Amino acid sequence: MVLEALFNPYYVDIVVFLIIYILLGLGLNLITGYAGQVSLGHAAFFGIGAYSSAILSVKADLNPWLAITLAIVITFVISAILGLPSLRVREDFLAITTLGMGLIIQSFFKNSSITGGAYGIDSIPTPSLFGMKLENMSYLIFLLIVMLIGIYAVRRMTQSRIGRAWMVIREDDIVAQSMGINTTYYKVLVFAIGGAYAGAAGALFAHKVSFISSDSFGFAVSATLLSMVVIGGLGSIRGTLFGVSVLYLLPEFFRLFQFTFIDMNYLDMYKMMIYGLLMVLMMRYRPNGIFGKKGAKKVMTKRLHKKKAVKGGEHIA
Amino acid sequence: MLAQQLINGLAIGFVYILVSVGLTMVYGVLKLLHFAHGVIYMVGAFSAMLGMIYFHLPFPLALLLAMAVSAVIGMGIERFAYRPLRGGHPITTLISGVGVAILLENFFQVIFTSDTLSFPETGIENTIYHLTQSVSITNYKFYIVIAGVIGLGLLYAFLKFTKMGIAIQAVAQDMRAASLMGVNVNRVVSVTFMIGSALAAAAGVLVALNYNSLFPSMGSIPGLKAFCVVVLGGLGSIGGTVVGGLILGLVETMSDGYLSGMVIDKDAIAFVILIVILLIKPSGLFGKKVEKV
Amino acid sequence: MVNILLKIEGISKRFGGLVAVNQVSLAVKEGEIFGLIGPNGAGKTTFFNMLTGIYKPNEGTIVFEQQQVQGVKPFRIAKLGISRTFQNIRLLKDESVLENVMVGMFGKTHTGLWSAILGLGSAKKEEELVKEESRKILELVGLAGLEDELAGSLSYGNQRRVEIARALVSKPKLLLLDEPTAGMNADETNEIGELIRKIRKNGTTVILIEHNVGWVMGLCDRIAVFDHGEKIADDEPEKIIANPAVIEAYIGKEDTEEVNKFAAN
Repeated sequence: MVLEALFNPYYVDIVVFLIIYILLGLGLNLITGYAGQVSLGHAAFFGIGAYSSAILSVKADLNPWLAITLAIVITFVISAILGLPSLRVREDFLAITTLGMGLIIQSFFKNSSITGGAYGIDSIPTPSLFGMKLENMSYLIFLLIVMLIGIYAVRRMTQSRIGRAWMVIREDDIVAQSMGINTTYYKVLVFAIGGAYAGAAGALFAHKVSFISSDSFGFAVSATLLSMVVIGGLGSIRGTLFGVSVLYLLPEFFRLFQFTFIDMNYLDMYKMMIYGLLMVLMMRYRPNGIFGKKGAKKVMTKRLHKKKAVKGGEHIA
Repeated sequence: MLAQQLINGLAIGFVYILVSVGLTMVYGVLKLLHFAHGVIYMVGAFSAMLGMIYFHLPFPLALLLAMAVSAVIGMGIERFAYRPLRGGHPITTLISGVGVAILLENFFQVIFTSDTLSFPETGIENTIYHLTQSVSITNYKFYIVIAGVIGLGLLYAFLKFTKMGIAIQAVAQDMRAASLMGVNVNRVVSVTFMIGSALAAAAGVLVALNYNSLFPSMGSIPGLKAFCVVVLGGLGSIGGTVVGGLILGLVETMSDGYLSGMVIDKDAIAFVILIVILLIKPSGLFGKKVEKV
Repeated sequence: MVNILLKIEGISKRFGGLVAVNQVSLAVKEGEIFGLIGPNGAGKTTFFNMLTGIYKPNEGTIVFEQQQVQGVKPFRIAKLGISRTFQNIRLLKDESVLENVMVGMFGKTHTGLWSAILGLGSAKKEEELVKEESRKILELVGLAGLEDELAGSLSYGNQRRVEIARALVSKPKLLLLDEPTAGMNADETNEIGELIRKIRKNGTTVILIEHNVGWVMGLCDRIAVFDHGEKIADDEPEKIIANPAVIEAYIGKEDTEEVNKFAAN
C-alpha cells in the first residue's frame, strides 16, 4: 500500500516539480536575498535553460545529458549578460528592468522560429542512465541528488568570502568597493550563478514534461518565485526550502482532497490571492521573512548578547 | 497611411498619459514605484461596467463612478500597503505593491472569471469620421483624446492654483522641508493617489469602451508600460510624461504598420525602450541629471 | 630622508557649477600623521573620496608609491593599500563586530568560487587566518570581547573603533580617517589619539579629517587647512596657528568657539 502510494506517478510529479521550484528559489535567493539584486524576471532564466536543453536535444539531436549540461552553461553566460543592468540601476528600478527583460525574453520565445514560436517544442527526450530511462521515481531520485548538491553549494558559497562580498554589496555598495571588493565582478557573478540554478531547473523541467511553450515562463512564475523566497526569508536557505515547499504544496494539498467548498477551477486564483496577500502582510509585519535575519533565533541570541555587552564595556574601561 | 497611424498613435498615447500621470506623481512625491497602479486601471473599467449594469447609469456618470471608486481604492492601497512601510527599504514597498496587484487581479478573476467580457451598451454608437479619404478617427478614440486633454488641463490648474496642488509640488521637491513648513504630508500623499487613480480609471473605462472588452488582467501590461513612460519622461516630470506617453503611443502604432514579423511582440517594445533609457540615460529624456537611479 | 608616500598635484573636483575641491596639491611622507582641518563644506571629504577612487578628479594627479592612482577604481586602490573610515559610520549594523572587521580583509584574500564550493583546505585555512587577524585588530582598538555583538548595538564611540579596525585589518600603508572622534567625549577622544599613535608606530601612515582643532594640533606632524575647496595652508602645527590666512578663514567664519580653541593653544 505504502509502496503503491510512493510510486503513484501523481505524487512523484508533485515532488519533482517541487524540487524544480526549490532550485529556482535557491538561485533567486542568491541574487535577491544574498546579494540584494532584486529580480522580477527569474522565469526568463528558467525559460532559457528549458529552451536551450530542448533545442539542443530535439533540433541538434544531442544526448540529453550533454544538452542539460550545455543548457546550464548557456544560462550561466546569458544570465551574466542580463545581470549587467544591475551595475547601473538602483534596486527598485532593477526590479522593473529585470521584469522588462523577462517579458522581452518570453516574447522572443513566443515569436522566434528557433523556439518553435507559439507551438513550442515537443518530444523532448527523457535522459537515460545505464540504459535505463529516468522516469518517475528514478528521475525524482536524480533530482533529489541535484537539489542536495545545489543546497550544499549555496551553503558553501554564502559562507565563504564570496558570500561575504555579496552581503556587503547588498548592505552598502560604497563600503564594498572601499574594502577592495570588485563589485562589478561579484554582481555579474551572482546573476550568472543564480541564473545557472534556474537554467538547471529549466533543463530538468523540459526533459520531465517533454513539451514546453512560452506560457510556462511568464511574469506569474517570476512573481510566485519572488513571493516564495521573500516569505521564506531573504538570505536564508531554510527560508527558501520552507517558503517554496509550503506555498507550492498548499494548493496541491487542496487539489488532492477536492474540498467541496473550493471550486477547483479557481484554485490557481485563490492560490495567487493568498500569495499576494502574504506578500503584503509579510512586508508589513515581518519584512525579513520567516527565516530571515532578525528572525526568532536572531532576536533571542541578541538578548543574550545584551547581557554580555555590559561585561564587554567594563573590559574596555 | 502615415497620417492615420499618427492619429491612432495619438489616441493610444493619451491612454498611456492618463495611466502614467498618476505613477509620475506618486514617484515625484514618494520616490516609490507604484506597482499596483495597473490594477486600478482595471478596477475602473469594471466599476463603470457594474455601474451601468446594476445602477443603469448613463455612460458619463458611470465614468465618474469608476473614477471615484478607483480613487478610493488607490488611497486604500497607499494607506494599507505603502504607508506602514514608509522610510523602509524601497524593495519592501515594491514587493508589497506586487502583492496588492496579484491579490486584486486574482480577486477579480474569482468574481468575473478570467474571460474577456464585453462592455455594456452605452447608447453611444461607435462611428467613424472620415477626415480625408484615407484618414479617419472613431468617436471613441476622439473621446480618449478629449478626456486626456481635459484631465491634463484640470491637473495643471489644480497643481498651479490650489493650495493642495502647491502642497503636492512642495512635497515632491522636499518632503521633510514641506512637512516642517506645516504641510500635512499624509494628506498630500493621499490626494496624489486619489488623483492618479482617478485618471488611470478614466483610461481604463475608455479603453474598455473602445475595444468593447474588459478582463481582470487588462491592467497589467498598461501598468507596466506606464513605468516605461515615466522613465522616458524623466521620473517625476508631468510634462515629460506627456511627451513620453505620446512617443510610446506613436512608436507602437508605427511598429505595427512597418515592422511586421518581428521576433518580439508589439507590447515588448516599451520594455526595450525602458531598458535602453535606464542604461544609457537614466535621467530620462527630460529629467534632471541624476547620478544613479 | 623620509620617502614621500602620497603626492597630490593640482587635483580639482567640480559638481556641475560647484567647485568642491580646487587645485589642491599635497605631499604626505611615510610614517606621518597628517591632519586636514577646515570649516564644513571646505571639501575635505570630497578630497578623501578622490584619494579612494569614489570620485574621479576633473584634473590633477595622485601618485601613491610612484604609481598614478587618480580615477582608478576604489577596489583597486584599496588593494594597493589605501584604506578608510567614513564620516557617517557605515557599518553592517545587523552583522557581528567580527564579521564587520573580516570584511576589511577581503582584498587580501584569494579563495575562488570552486575552492569555496568544494570546501578545499586552503579556503578553510584562509578563513581561519582572516578571523585570527580580525581578532588581533579588535584587541588593538580595544574591542576585545565584543566580537559577537551586532555592530549596530554598540555605542557610537565603539562603532567608530570597529570602523577603524575594519580599515586597519588589511594592514594598509595609508589609513584615511574621516572625523574619527566625532560625537566622542574627551576621554574617548584621547584614547583614539593614543590608538592613532600606535597605528603609526606599527608602520601605517595616517591622514585624518577633524574638527577638534586643539586635539589635531597635539596629534599631527603636519596639518593642511582647507577653505572653500582650496588649501590655504600646509605646515607644522605651531606654524599653522601663526598663519594669518588660517586665522582669517576661521574668524571669517565667525565661529568663536573655534577661535577660542586656537587661542587656548
